Amino acid sequence: MTGPLPGPTMVDTPSTLTAIAMMAGIVYLTRLSGYFVGLRLRHIKGIQPVLEALPGCAFMAILAPAVRQGSVSEIIAMICVILIMWRSNNVVLATSTGMAVLLFGAPYLDAL
Amino acid sequence: MTTRQSALHGIRTSADYFISTFLFGVMFGIAAVAAGLENWQALLMSATSFTASGQFAALEFWTAPLPLGTIALSVALVSSRNLLLGMSMTHHFDGHSLGRRIVWLALLNDPGVVNSFRMDAEIDRLGYVTGYGISMMISWLLSTYIGLNVAHLFTSFDLGAIDFAGPLVIATMMMLFFKGSTSKPTPWILSGVVALILFEAGAANYLILLGSVLVGMVAAVLQNRNIVDGAAAGADDG
Repeated sequence: MTGPLPGPTMVDTPSTLTAIAMMAGIVYLTRLSGYFVGLRLRHIKGIQPVLEALPGCAFMAILAPAVRQGSVSEIIAMICVILIMWRSNNVVLATSTGMAVLLFGAPYLDAL
Repeated sequence: MTTRQSALHGIRTSADYFISTFLFGVMFGIAAVAAGLENWQALLMSATSFTASGQFAALEFWTAPLPLGTIALSVALVSSRNLLLGMSMTHHFDGHSLGRRIVWLALLNDPGVVNSFRMDAEIDRLGYVTGYGISMMISWLLSTYIGLNVAHLFTSFDLGAIDFAGPLVIATMMMLFFKGSTSKPTPWILSGVVALILFEAGAANYLILLGSVLVGMVAAVLQNRNIVDGAAAGADDG
């Protein structure tokens, strides 16, 4: 027996508004609290370069596992992005090339 | 440079990430329709949360009855890097009232922070990051709107296919850090190595983030101490 595909389960409006308000509050708190924690720490001698290194550490914590579990096309896309950024600092070119590899190269590269 | 001029400079220099953000916004709009959100609800979420990764994470659980606790935890974990972005700006938002800092921090954004480190010292970084954030917000809202309205063209849209777009954009920011840094990238490299080790050990994502950031912090402290000691030794020799 066939029929129409099941659509998404509709969530009522009050629940949706509650979730959106909760998300906004959480995200804003993360933005705010990091800065104010930093203000508490800023009297420590030599802390500034340590604090300024933190976003890069967080990015690496996301990137390294993502690349490790990436498919062939994802790893090639990442290499393209790194090389283009290294040579040109062109974010748009790097991102669009990486996306093109993912979208158009994946069917061929991942079948290798 | 005044705050206003710095904010305008932030808007002017945000073109690259305006386009990247736009791409994600369109995808979010399409994914939001697939998850069953009404247009105004998706736009409200984009306007108030303003976080691509957090919003995509929430959509994964968007089914009735909404698992609010799971969504909260998921959004908090994905957004935890905002803590580190905020901490990195500790020494750069001085000279503004507390009220202004509290309100403007709502627009704290990754590419704005990354690029602010590449700007000259005379720029007002709160103004710059906020200007950048305004540009990102415009891009995010416009693209969400477009995504919502073209979603019917992508009824078989596979969200999994674009999962890796996030790491690609993060890689562009990491490259800006690497190329713009005046000190050795040892803390970042060590963070990456520790993240890999923890990942291989099967650690949860939040433990990977915590462990690698802690090791990166220790490496940055040691590196900074060596620089200070070296400078002191040089001064003694002189």
